Amino acid sequence: MSPVSFDLAGRVAIVTGAGSGLGREIALALARAGCDVAGAGRRPGPLDETAEAVRALGRRALARPTDVTDSAQVDGLVAETIAELGRVDVLVSNAGSYLGIGAKPLAELTDEEWRAGLDANLTGAVYCARAVLPHMTERGSGRIISIASGLGLRARRDDYVYSIAKAGVMQLTRALAVSHGRDGVLATAVAPGLIPLDASEQERASMGARQVAGRVRRPEEVGPVVAFLASDAAGYLNGVTLSLDGGAAAGGVVPAGIGAPAATGVAAARPTEAAP
Amino acid sequence: MSGSSLGDLSGRHALVTAAIGPLGRALAVALAEAGADVSLTTLSGAREEEFEANSILNECWSLGRRGNAHTLDLADPAAVEAALDAAERTAGPVSILVNAGHSPPAVPALETDLQAWERALRLAATAAYVPTLAAGRRMRGRGAGRIVSVVSVLHDRGAPGGALIAASSGAVAGLTRSLGVEWARSGVTVNALGLGFVEGLPGPHADPATSAALERYIPARRLGRPADLAGALLYLVSDEAAYLNAEVLLVDGGVAVHA
Repeated sequence: MSPVSFDLAGRVAIVTGAGSGLGREIALALARAGCDVAGAGRRPGPLDETAEAVRALGRRALARPTDVTDSAQVDGLVAETIAELGRVDVLVSNAGSYLGIGAKPLAELTDEEWRAGLDANLTGAVYCARAVLPHMTERGSGRIISIASGLGLRARRDDYVYSIAKAGVMQLTRALAVSHGRDGVLATAVAPGLIPLDASEQERASMGARQVAGRVRRPEEVGPVVAFLASDAAGYLNGVTLSLDGGAAAGGVVPAGIGAPAATGVAAARPTEAAP
Repeated sequence: MSGSSLGDLSGRHALVTAAIGPLGRALAVALAEAGADVSLTTLSGAREEEFEANSILNECWSLGRRGNAHTLDLADPAAVEAALDAAERTAGPVSILVNAGHSPPAVPALETDLQAWERALRLAATAAYVPTLAAGRRMRGRGAGRIVSVVSVLHDRGAPGGALIAASSGAVAGLTRSLGVEWARSGVTVNALGLGFVEGLPGPHADPATSAALERYIPARRLGRPADLAGALLYLVSDEAAYLNAEVLLVDGGVAVHA
C-alpha cells in the first residue's frame, strides 16, 4: 500500500467557474477522486449540468450561482456549502476570463477593462480565499488551489490585464502559504498554458507544433493535477505554482524553430577547448 | 574599497579569469578604463589562450594600468594561489574577481559522453569555483571584495542542446547564490551576470538568418554586445552596489522574460 493517499473520499470542495471549461474538468476530477463538489459560476444552467455529472459519479453536489467579484455572494457561497455539505476542505479558484481584451497597447486600455480584468481574474480569488480561511483555520485543515497561467510567469507584447492578474494569483498563493501553512491551510497554484477553448483540432495541432511538448494541453489534463494538490499525497506542497505546460516555462529562451540541436549556444567565451 | 564611486575604480586591482575571448577582453578593458589595475588568467593554459590573454593585457597596459597575465589551469588551486600571489605583488590586493567564463558547446545530450560532461564542468564550473574561493578567502580577510561570474541565461532554463551549458551555468549560479548568502556579512558580494545572445560569441546567432529571427524575438530588438556586459559589471563592482548580493543579473535584452 502506498504510504500516501490520493483519495479524497468524504472531502468537500468548492470549485469556481465550474460550469464549463477547466472548472468543469476540475469538478469532475475531484468527484472521481471521491470529493463532494459545490460548483459556483455565473450561469445556472451549466452549473446544474456539472452538478448532475458529479452526482452521476456518486458524489454529493451543489450548484450555486455566484459572481465571485461580489464578496457578499462569495460569503454566501461558502456559508451555503458548509450548511449543505457540512464543511469545505478544498477551494479551487478557477473562475477567470480573458474577457476578449487580449493583447492591447496600454495606452488603449480603458479603466473599465483594467478593473474588469483584475476583478474577474484576481479579486475573485482573493474574495474566495478570504471567505474560506476562517473555516479552514478553525478546523486546522484546508487546501486553497488557484488556477494561474503561464502568462503570469513571463511577458507577451501588449498583454497587460490578464497576465498581471495571473501573476497576482501566484503571489496570493505564496502569501497564503507563508501566512497560514502553520494553521494547516496549504496554498498552491497551477499555471496551465493558455489554450483557446474554441480552437479547432487543426488549430490545436498547428499551435502544438510550436510547443516544447509538440502538442497543446488536453482539456482533461488539469483536473488530475488539482486532485493531486487536494490530496494527502501533496501534504507538504505549499506556496508553489506547478507549470502545466509540457515544459514551456522551463525553456522559452529561444523562439520556435531555433531550438534545434546545437542551436542554443548562449556562450561566455570562444569555444576552443584544450584537453584538461 | 577605498572611496571609489560609480565608474571610478582607481586604486582597485581586478583579476579577470578565463580572459581568452571577446567578452573577457571587453570586461578587462572596461575595468582598466575605469581606472583599475587588471591582471588576467587563461582558462586551461593552452598556448592560444596565453596569446589572447597577453594581447588583452597589452591593451590594459596601454591605458597606463599595472597587472600581469598568468598562464594556468583554473581548476588547479595551487596554480591559482600562485597567480594571486604574483598579481598582488605587482599591483596590490585583488579586490575584484571577474570570472569571465567559458561556455561548453551546444550539443544534443545523447551526443555527449562522460568525458565531455566532466570537461564541461571543469572548464565552465570548476574554473569559477577555484578562483572564487581563493580570492574570496583573501577578500574576506580584508573585509571587502567583489566577485562576479559570467553565466548563461540557461542557468535556470533548458533548451535543446543546452545540457552542458545549463548544467555548468546552473552550478556557477548556485555557487553564486550560496556564497552570496554565506559571506553576506563579510563585505564581499558574490553575483553573476547572465548572458543571452551576444555578438561575437558562439551561438545560433552566428548564422545570419537565425540572427535576424532572434533580433525580432529579443524584446530589445538586437543582440547583446560585450559592452552591455561591461556596464553591468562596472555597476556590480562599485561601492554603490554593496547591497546587491547573491544575484544573477540578466543582461539579455529581456529575452528571458519573453513568454
